[in-house]
Amino acid sequence: MSRADKRNITLYGGLGSEGVHWTIATLTISLLPQLSSMTLALAVITVLPVAWRLLAQARKWRPIPLLLRVLATAVAVTVLVLTYGGLVGRRTAVTLLVLMLSMKLLETFRSRDARIVTCLSLFLCATQFLFAQGIAMIFYMIACLLSALIALTYLQRWEAFRPLGKTPGTGRGMFAEFGSSARLLALAVPIGVAMFLLFPRWGSPLWGVPEDALDSRSGLSDTMSPGSIQKLFMDDSPAFRVQFKGTMPRHSELYWRGPVFWNFDGEEWTTSYLSRNLLAMRKPDPQNAAYRYTMQIEPTEQRGLFALDYPALLPSHTHLTMDYQLLANRPLTQLRSITVASDPNFTDSPKIKQTLLRAALELPEGYNPRTAAMMARWRAEAQSDTAIVKRALAYFNRENFHYTLNPPLLSRDTVDEFLFDTRKGFCEHYASAFTVMMRMAGIPARVVTGYQGGWYNDLGGYLLVRQSDAHAWSEVWVRGAGWTRIDPTAAVAPQRIEESALDLLTQRRHLLDFSWMRNARNTFDLLQRGWNDWVIAFNHDRQSRLFTGLGWGIFDANKLAAAMIAVICMVAAAVFLLMPLIARIRAARKQDAVLRLWQTFSAKLRKAGARAVPSMAPKELAAAAGSQLKHQAEEIDRIAELYSLCRYSPQRGDQSELKAMIRRFHPRPATQHH
Amino acid sequence: MSGQQSVTAPLPALRRLLPQKNIFEDWIKQRVRRKRAPTRLPFELRYKNVYVLPTEFGLGFGLMLVFMALGGLNFNNNMALLLVFLLATIAQFTTFVAYRNLAGLRIEDVQAAPVFCGQDAQFKVFLSNQTDQRRFILQAGFGKTQVCTDLALAECAVIRLNHATSRRGWLDMPSFRLETRFPLGLFKAWTWVFPGSRCLVYPAPARNAPPLPRTGQGPSGQARKGDGDQVHGLRKYQLGDSLQRIAWRASARHNELYSLEMETPSEEACELNWSALQGLDIETRLSVLTAWVIAADQKQMSYSLVLPGRSVPPGNGPEQRAQCLELLALFES
Repeated sequence: MSRADKRNITLYGGLGSEGVHWTIATLTISLLPQLSSMTLALAVITVLPVAWRLLAQARKWRPIPLLLRVLATAVAVTVLVLTYGGLVGRRTAVTLLVLMLSMKLLETFRSRDARIVTCLSLFLCATQFLFAQGIAMIFYMIACLLSALIALTYLQRWEAFRPLGKTPGTGRGMFAEFGSSARLLALAVPIGVAMFLLFPRWGSPLWGVPEDALDSRSGLSDTMSPGSIQKLFMDDSPAFRVQFKGTMPRHSELYWRGPVFWNFDGEEWTTSYLSRNLLAMRKPDPQNAAYRYTMQIEPTEQRGLFALDYPALLPSHTHLTMDYQLLANRPLTQLRSITVASDPNFTDSPKIKQTLLRAALELPEGYNPRTAAMMARWRAEAQSDTAIVKRALAYFNRENFHYTLNPPLLSRDTVDEFLFDTRKGFCEHYASAFTVMMRMAGIPARVVTGYQGGWYNDLGGYLLVRQSDAHAWSEVWVRGAGWTRIDPTAAVAPQRIEESALDLLTQRRHLLDFSWMRNARNTFDLLQRGWNDWVIAFNHDRQSRLFTGLGWGIFDANKLAAAMIAVICMVAAAVFLLMPLIARIRAARKQDAVLRLWQTFSAKLRKAGARAVPSMAPKELAAAAGSQLKHQAEEIDRIAELYSLCRYSPQRGDQSELKAMIRRFHPRPATQHH
Repeated sequence: MSGQQSVTAPLPALRRLLPQKNIFEDWIKQRVRRKRAPTRLPFELRYKNVYVLPTEFGLGFGLMLVFMALGGLNFNNNMALLLVFLLATIAQFTTFVAYRNLAGLRIEDVQAAPVFCGQDAQFKVFLSNQTDQRRFILQAGFGKTQVCTDLALAECAVIRLNHATSRRGWLDMPSFRLETRFPLGLFKAWTWVFPGSRCLVYPAPARNAPPLPRTGQGPSGQARKGDGDQVHGLRKYQLGDSLQRIAWRASARHNELYSLEMETPSEEACELNWSALQGLDIETRLSVLTAWVIAADQKQMSYSLVLPGRSVPPGNGPEQRAQCLELLALFES
């Protein structure tokens, strides 16, 4: 063999198809979730090397030159930088990893490279949990794991045989390989779970957690314009889950307070500088808090939390703004659990500062003249502020206003057009229009956004609030009563507040939007909640609470580690001792199975009138039966012979064949043939 | 296998810092030698003599798991941690799988046929798997892996391990290594076997040995076939027959190669005598004598061997050859 030939074997014929295919499978599975979040250009760049490597394996292509590989990688990185505008951020880093792994395939012609690709695919799999940790991700994890195990097994096979110039056989075959990998995984689950529960967690991170944990901000934004809440209405993902301790408010009282808007520019509502920077001066007395509840809030990458009016007992690392919005000190990058107490009867600002009063009355110049004219008329006719508020609500109720998902587009004078022309809108249209009307009438008003209602899960005893429950309402400041919640949507469509926005709809939002499906999904949310509780939100606190709750006293890291090692040793010992035992039992049962088959056969013969006594040796029995069932003597002989083989040299006898033969065997009395 | 080294040496600079050999393995090898040398055959691999250590790949894999665990702990990402724990447990289990892949295997016997010095001694190791599990990727060799095989249920296999020879006499079989990295290559389970077998190494036959001494004595009047001066008859061509001896005409007729069989009127027998080679050093003398024994055996002559202190009476055939060569191999002045 010449040197070039040798080189060719180590390089081009250097990896078996099984190894390459499973390596590529592992990489492909692990990059799937990432692929779905990439731009088309990047996705294509990722997929191309994979396709090339598959073709190269099939057609026995040589690797492309180093220069081209470097060039391809440079192009990929350039596109990445152009797409993300740099190399900072988690998504960018993971995309870089994906691209590098994909490019690595171009030079994966040895088992070492393939192993690196397989291992880094597992790493990639782990990074995906930074972005999504839903219950479905467990299947993704299992798929990656199994595929990687199979790939590594084939690669090991190849690495052992190939340097000796031998072509390795396929070993056990793909199904057996899959089975043994699955068994390995199944065996690992008990210890894996024990480690999961007992491995000491850190109370605080070692290095900083970046704030851009998620791809895009979901949930309510910190501005409101027509259509912003409507967008959320299409989103069925959970916003938070609430479990009440003791009494729960009526459905129509469930206003989850979010961003409060003071400034209006004619189209968009924004928060005010004061609202963002001033803390609440007065807080409700926790003694009066009627509702206590624990919320499990999905990460939003924003600081806003959503509490019922008005938060009396604040969770740690949160603060209350001057307009009583609960804010976390850091953006929510992961699932967070908080306990809040609320007092619904608290009076928000019985007295108000002039600056705030001015802010709550300010309107842009030269917008909505028709509304302004109407409000001036109302003002002149009304005795009090309350009368104007009532009149406005009655106006919405009596005139031909519609609550709809598909409101017509509005142009410059949004409130005018809405009130006098289109009269079709969503909660944000009503809240916006109402607030503008109040300000025009000289009543301080502001817009509050958040969520309204929720779906009560009877099975789990908790309230599930989805993004589609997003809502907007108004607050007016009334002397003596302070800021008072007014929900103009309730005047138009009371069911929205009593039930849910979704139940109001006559048309479906998308093809599969049936109410039974929504209910089923809401019920199944129980699983996701348990998953969140036990897997995703399992942290240092929960861990210590778990073991304290079990009555094992306070568990510090040392004790946990000791417990973990003890449990692992016990489980490992059990598995190590049990596995040979199980193997022996299975071998014995295999023997028994052969015996049982033989007994079935003997019984069949006896039924046909042949002499078949258990004490007879197989040959003896065959001879005796054969003499009575002459026309089947040959078949009986063959069965007896195969039985002897299965019984006395199990490696050579095919048990399934014996089973089939005995099943096929139907003794026919000899008389039929005469 | 020049390509091989670059595969296992990714960071040559780093590797230079590391100890060149695995100290654990050396320690175990010496322990095996000291405690149980030689191994009594048949030898069944049991927990006492199967060792398990991570491979280089296994260490790298472990390092990756550490990084993944650090990340998971830092971000309190429980799914990532779960993945790490599962992977770690699986890796741990593969030590057991690797161990079970070796344990229970039996080394029934080790044999080696004599070779001439300079040729590779070939030790045949008879492995048997009498258990109810298949064995995968068994590697064996003296240090470097030479053989790789799978073993089916109740299968016996002969693995051949080659060892270079550099001097005549008995070559004690060095301890050899039976290893498996099944299933994932993260851990290797291995054992050192030191069966105490040996291989007889004959002296290398001299290249340009002087012609056989023809002493002309001896009783044999029988004609010896083989090389000779007179044509005796035709026979089918055999590998090794000289081209000059091929009977081309007869071969053409029968469409098959025939060679002329020559005959030496060999009433003579020869005596291969140590003292006939005065002036040469011991090893050269032994080499020449070896060449003579081979030549005489090929000519099917009757020959005797006389060494100082030892001698083999005249005779011929395989036993005679073996006896003479053994005497030469083990000659000590």
